[in-house]
Amino acid sequence: MTEQWRLLRTGFMNAFSNMAIDKAILVVNSQGMVPPTVRFYGWTPPAISIGYFQSLAEEVDIKACDRFGVDYVRRITGGGAVFHEKELTYSIVVPEIHPAIPKNIIKSYGRICGAVMNGLQQLGIESEYAPINDILTGGRKISGNAQTRKLGTVLQHGTVLMDVDVDTMFSLLKVPNEKIKDKLIADVKQRVTSIHHSLGKEVSFKEVAGAMKTGFEEEFHVELIEGKLNDEELSLAKQFEKETFLTKEWNHRR
Amino acid sequence: MQSHSIYKVPQGKLLKISLEYDEKKNVITDIRITGDFFAYPEEAIEHLETKLKNTVLERKQLLEQITSIISEYHIEFIGVNAEGLTQGILMCRP
Repeated sequence: MTEQWRLLRTGFMNAFSNMAIDKAILVVNSQGMVPPTVRFYGWTPPAISIGYFQSLAEEVDIKACDRFGVDYVRRITGGGAVFHEKELTYSIVVPEIHPAIPKNIIKSYGRICGAVMNGLQQLGIESEYAPINDILTGGRKISGNAQTRKLGTVLQHGTVLMDVDVDTMFSLLKVPNEKIKDKLIADVKQRVTSIHHSLGKEVSFKEVAGAMKTGFEEEFHVELIEGKLNDEELSLAKQFEKETFLTKEWNHRR
Repeated sequence: MQSHSIYKVPQGKLLKISLEYDEKKNVITDIRITGDFFAYPEEAIEHLETKLKNTVLERKQLLEQITSIISEYHIEFIGVNAEGLTQGILMCRP
């Protein structure tokens, strides 16, 4: 019988809830209380997430974020700053010992990115994995991914860009050298793409989610069963949101 | 003395170091290691920063100290390594 994993579609939420839910799923999965889980979600209002090791003040123009109504949050995963607006975000939570997950961290990035690449293929987009944590189509980035391992559990989350606005992104992020900002923006425009740009048409969130569901099912040879966050996950998510992701101590800690 | 460096690790990520050091003794007094790299477990970065205090700002001592802390805390870095960290730290010094 095909192994069954849980699928969560949690819709569009703010940055703090989104990051708190991913962490809550990780904790409850580590207690063996819920099956391996794939989650699809979006961000409203738009938000910047920064990697665990990044300096908030160095990476993010906080005043610009406040002006534009963009939230900012530190992730529990490493990696770079991301402007989350028109994208599908996925997360996957699986025990480290699950046979689907390579012990080697880089190999496991490749495996999980394989599911995203399969999903893109369902939409008619051929892509390639660019280690460590990117997926490219036509040589341009269409997905960025970040993984943590805690409590014997793997959490990887990542973006699938549906559309991209590099100018807005750079009005919210700080650059190391203002003098070369224009060149940097031009470079990033050349290096980043989206489903819209790649296919020449807009694809709805729902359609992208449908393609990604198939992508994860085929890559991991599982059936994704629609489910909900359980009570423990909901209450932990509330707690993490309040005690961690909404706090200055967490977001400004580096 | 306060200093800062930005170092693109070859085949890796962008490492940003903020360093405070004692010019006379040539040792680190405070350090913050930031960037878009990955490290497992993430929290070990704080141990690394604490344990680098009082380390002499010379390549050999730095590399040895960083390598020994990585091994002590079983840190797995991705996108940066002991050599990259050493280089980033040394770039803070004129």
